[in-house]
Amino acid sequence: MRDERIKYLFVWPAFLIVLAVSIFPLIYALTVSFQSMRLTPPLPARFVGLENYLGLLASARFWGAIATTSIIVLISVAVQYCVGLALALSLHSNVPGERLYRPLFLFPMFMAPVAVALVARMIFSPTLGPLNEFATFLGFPNLPFLTQANWAIAVIAIVEIWQWTPLVTLLMLAGLQGLPREVFEAAAIENASPWQRFWSITFPMLLPLSVAVVFIRIIEGLKIIDTVFVLTGGGPGTSTETLTLFAYNEGFKKFNLGQASALSFLFLMVITLFGIVYLALARPLMEKRT
Amino acid sequence: MVHKLATLVGALMVSAATPALACEPDYTGVTLSVGVQTGPFVASALKTASDNWSKKTCGKVNVVEFPFGELFPKYITALQSSTGDFDVMAFTPAWLPDMADFLSDMPANMQQGEYWADIHPAYKERLMIWNGKVKAAQMDGDMHTLQYRGDLFENPEEQKTFKAKYGYDLAPPKTWDQYYDIAAFFTRPDKGLFGTAEAYKRGGQQFWFFFSHAASYTNNPNVPGSMFFDPETMKAEINNPGWVKALEDYKKGLDFNPPGSLNNGSSEIRPLYSGGKVAMNIDWGDSGILGADKKESRIIGNVRASVLPASAKIWNIKKSAWDEFPEPVASPFLAFGGWQLGVPTSSAHMEAAWNYVQEVTSIETSGKAIVTAGTGVNPYRLSHMSNVENWLSIFSRPEAVSYLGAIKGSLDAKNVTFDLRLPGFFNYTEALEIELSKALAGQVEPQAALDAVAAEWDSLTEEFGKDKQLAAYRASMGLPPLK
Repeated sequence: MRDERIKYLFVWPAFLIVLAVSIFPLIYALTVSFQSMRLTPPLPARFVGLENYLGLLASARFWGAIATTSIIVLISVAVQYCVGLALALSLHSNVPGERLYRPLFLFPMFMAPVAVALVARMIFSPTLGPLNEFATFLGFPNLPFLTQANWAIAVIAIVEIWQWTPLVTLLMLAGLQGLPREVFEAAAIENASPWQRFWSITFPMLLPLSVAVVFIRIIEGLKIIDTVFVLTGGGPGTSTETLTLFAYNEGFKKFNLGQASALSFLFLMVITLFGIVYLALARPLMEKRT
Repeated sequence: MVHKLATLVGALMVSAATPALACEPDYTGVTLSVGVQTGPFVASALKTASDNWSKKTCGKVNVVEFPFGELFPKYITALQSSTGDFDVMAFTPAWLPDMADFLSDMPANMQQGEYWADIHPAYKERLMIWNGKVKAAQMDGDMHTLQYRGDLFENPEEQKTFKAKYGYDLAPPKTWDQYYDIAAFFTRPDKGLFGTAEAYKRGGQQFWFFFSHAASYTNNPNVPGSMFFDPETMKAEINNPGWVKALEDYKKGLDFNPPGSLNNGSSEIRPLYSGGKVAMNIDWGDSGILGADKKESRIIGNVRASVLPASAKIWNIKKSAWDEFPEPVASPFLAFGGWQLGVPTSSAHMEAAWNYVQEVTSIETSGKAIVTAGTGVNPYRLSHMSNVENWLSIFSRPEAVSYLGAIKGSLDAKNVTFDLRLPGFFNYTEALEIELSKALAGQVEPQAALDAVAAEWDSLTEEFGKDKQLAAYRASMGLPPLK
């Protein structure tokens, strides 16, 4: 009995460390979200209840940020998955030059998002960028890549696709290489066409991995800030402002800590809700396919 | 024996006195921590001065650099929690209202003699002061001026064609109407030339460019301090007809800027000028310096500058009507206002810190910094502006005379306009930037955009405490407290 108690004693230090480094900041942020707290001008903190949350839920800027983030994430992750899977299938089929392509495809994801965004900003620059210069040379009008809302969102999605498709390729390729060979050999004996092999064997067997990969990319995509910050700064107006950039502006430009904390928790709720809905939708699909 | 003893004692005294002579004042063992934005701009000037100071005083300096966006949060958290992390802070005048309560006063011995007399009054009587006390030392002077190209403006063919078309001589514009005439005249997309370049990007310092236009229509000398707020009620004035006119003007300029200028910040418009793609631009002095850089510029020898254009009609908030003046009233805008140095009261080495500040801002050290590439230090002392010879390592003589003339002319102007300095500065400018970029993108009309800004500004003022904000605003505008 005494030994039983001692084992709990050994657990306590680890528990306290976890409490200190993760749970405490979370609880502190939660309490701040119910207060009016600003660093500048330095005003005494006061309890405001749900005012920060209600203010955000009533703000068009908040819903605009959710819409912008969702559009960028849905478009970019969908394309990342399709292109990533196609590339993984090509690499798995040992296309000529596969040994060269494999490291080349992975190159973008090794770059820092800020560096990628800076390069993209130069490429899409209306005055100094090569893309518009080439378009103008061919007689096309100068395109407002970063100054018109729809174009700017498209550019952000393109940059996301360019940078993160390699990760999807890498994960899907690992999945492909782990599939049992016997099933494909049996399909070959049955004279199954390549499409039949893909649609009836490869894709269903990869579905659990696909669900996980898409889920990871969606969660990561929802956190997008650096690319948007460098490319458009959230403008014009707030038309390309994502949730994380909105939170950054509230917290680090306006030092409105109460509002920024509330925004962070709303963001957490959005992600959680998104995850629950996504997994609920994916489950029957996986059960049907497997 | 006595003689030998005396010699020995004398030698000992000399050797004991030697370090003291080398270190004057002696700050041996003192290490100052100096906060600044990531270099080379400003930070390199501080590092050079640090070496000088270390040689003189035997103290050490640790220059700690942070990206500009992180600088203010670092400072304000360090000041509010009195951590003593910084002995000297490099900051902008707009932050002074939020920081002033935590900063020490400049020592009296620095507020006298040639050191003090040589600082331009616009800085030492206004921007370095908060609530009647000198809280900061200027280390850089900043304002918006108009840059133009000598090769275009002094070309007889261009002059003749311009006069035939507009009926007056081609010269640096005195009014905003002339500015747009000239911008339209030089807009020749087929030749890769555009009239002007200004920053329009949200987060690219756009609001300072807007303020430069607005100063001409709203900084009424008949109602001092009424540009941003009513100095008696603290009601936001940013949606009055003067501001709307300024926004319409600012937006009109897009027609004469290179394509895609909505995404140009101040760092993009400099190479447009030095690269010869525009005839004019509005910017800080950095455009002129870049235009004279032999490695970067395509307009070598042709850098010219003048005071910002003006207006002869200025909105009067008391009469709710335009005041007409016989001549355009030059209202050059001291955008940003330059970098300053302050010493927190939490510093453990306050005396040494102020001594270091004095070294950085001394006539000799600052005189070298202003003509050293990459320091980002612009003139703020009278000697900086009068000593043309000092500038000939960068500029040709006509360029130097023009560049310095524009700076001095701006600072000396009777109706010189000071930047907004108010607690919660970024809350006000963030609200402005959002609506401004919506208006520039054509998503809302200028009046509607500015109405939204005014409502947000009034709401922020109420939240921060109207009386406190009013007192701070009046102090920043050089007005006495309300009775």
